[in-house]
Amino acid sequence: MKILIVDDSSTMRRIIGNVVQQLGVPKDDFDEAEDGVVAWKLLQEKKYDVILTDWNMPNMNGLELVKKIRSEGSAHKTTPTVMITTEGGKSEVITALKAGVNNYIVKPFNAQTLKEKLDPFFKN
Amino acid sequence: MSSMTQEEIEALMNSTALVDEAQQEEPQVEESMDDILSQIDGVIDDGDSVQEEPSLEVNEQESSDIDAILAGIDGIEDNDTQEEPEESFENQDIDSILASIDGVVDDGSTTQMEEVAQEVTKETSATSSNNSDDYQKDLDSKIEQGIYPMPVEQEHKVVNQLSQVAEDSEAKASQIFDVLSFILDENDIIGRNLTTSSDFITSQIVLLERLAQKFPNIEIFEEQLLKAQEAKTSLEGVESIIGDENGKLFEAMELMQFHDINRQKIERVMSVIRKLSNYLNGLFEDDGKPEVQIAKHISGDSNETVTADDLDSLIAQYSQEH
Repeated sequence: MKILIVDDSSTMRRIIGNVVQQLGVPKDDFDEAEDGVVAWKLLQEKKYDVILTDWNMPNMNGLELVKKIRSEGSAHKTTPTVMITTEGGKSEVITALKAGVNNYIVKPFNAQTLKEKLDPFFKN
Repeated sequence: MSSMTQEEIEALMNSTALVDEAQQEEPQVEESMDDILSQIDGVIDDGDSVQEEPSLEVNEQESSDIDAILAGIDGIEDNDTQEEPEESFENQDIDSILASIDGVVDDGSTTQMEEVAQEVTKETSATSSNNSDDYQKDLDSKIEQGIYPMPVEQEHKVVNQLSQVAEDSEAKASQIFDVLSFILDENDIIGRNLTTSSDFITSQIVLLERLAQKFPNIEIFEEQLLKAQEAKTSLEGVESIIGDENGKLFEAMELMQFHDINRQKIERVMSVIRKLSNYLNGLFEDDGKPEVQIAKHISGDSNETVTADDLDSLIAQYSQEH
């Protein structure tokens, strides 16, 4: 199971990485990117099974990244994507889901929540 | 040919008398001086100063008369010796005055004067330093009270400061995360070692159980079995504690999400300030028109402005003067 974690906060990337590790994913099986541009570059180079992305980031935000993946990312057009963000408004959630996000987590979250959201993808 | 005639001498004396009389009337003195000069020119034109000496000797006959004349004019006496005591007195007087000023004595050395000068210099520099300190304190006080704004320096730029706080916070949060990760990793190592120990003890328990069953009469097997079981229970307790500790570490890591949330709140404030700054800049910009000279006192500002009566009286006053 290869996972891509996209967040401009290094602390958040580590927190998510920790939870992912708790789920049994080895450290070598997940990569990190600090914005959408870097993430898009990695997506061109590797195949990931799950993408976990923040919304508000410099250069290219998470929503733009998801739209780009769904429209241009041939290898990842259907890759499960979870938005992990502080944006907690209903309209934002709808916007993200319409853009092609498969699940949505509002910060702060606990490990259990992330596990529950990721479980379906892990089982598949 | 070279000697002065009596008439010339008399004219010279007269002109001298005129000079004495005219000390209070400058223009007359100038006229007399012209006459004298014209007469002296005539004398000098005749020859050297050596040639003048005889004429002076000739005039000695008249000197008593001249002295008498001079003595008669404004009580002037030709007595040089009388001036000496006066001059001497003046010097003593000056000395005594100097001596009375701060103990300064004219003893021929300048050390005391230098000391005084140094003291004065020190006092001046101390006063200057005090003035500077007072000014700074006054300035700080006014800034503190909000009378003066804070200077536009890097540490007072709001957006820069907030950005710095966010960056510093990110760096420190990362360091805290490193510490938590280290403890987690160490706990992981301890956990693995505990598993190894636990596995060994478990195998020992199995062995001791078999030995205790086969040799029920040998008490040592039974005793060691009990100790091994206690050790396994103890190890399980340690594993449990480490598990709880790891749970707390994960909880702490989760709580560190608030750093990211707070950073985003700060960024939201920064965004508001930037927008406000752009708005105010747009509101106050003057399209590059040159700055005009502003009025210092406008009617209604304060009591420093002149009233109509003041204005009239000032105009009247200056009209009279000019």
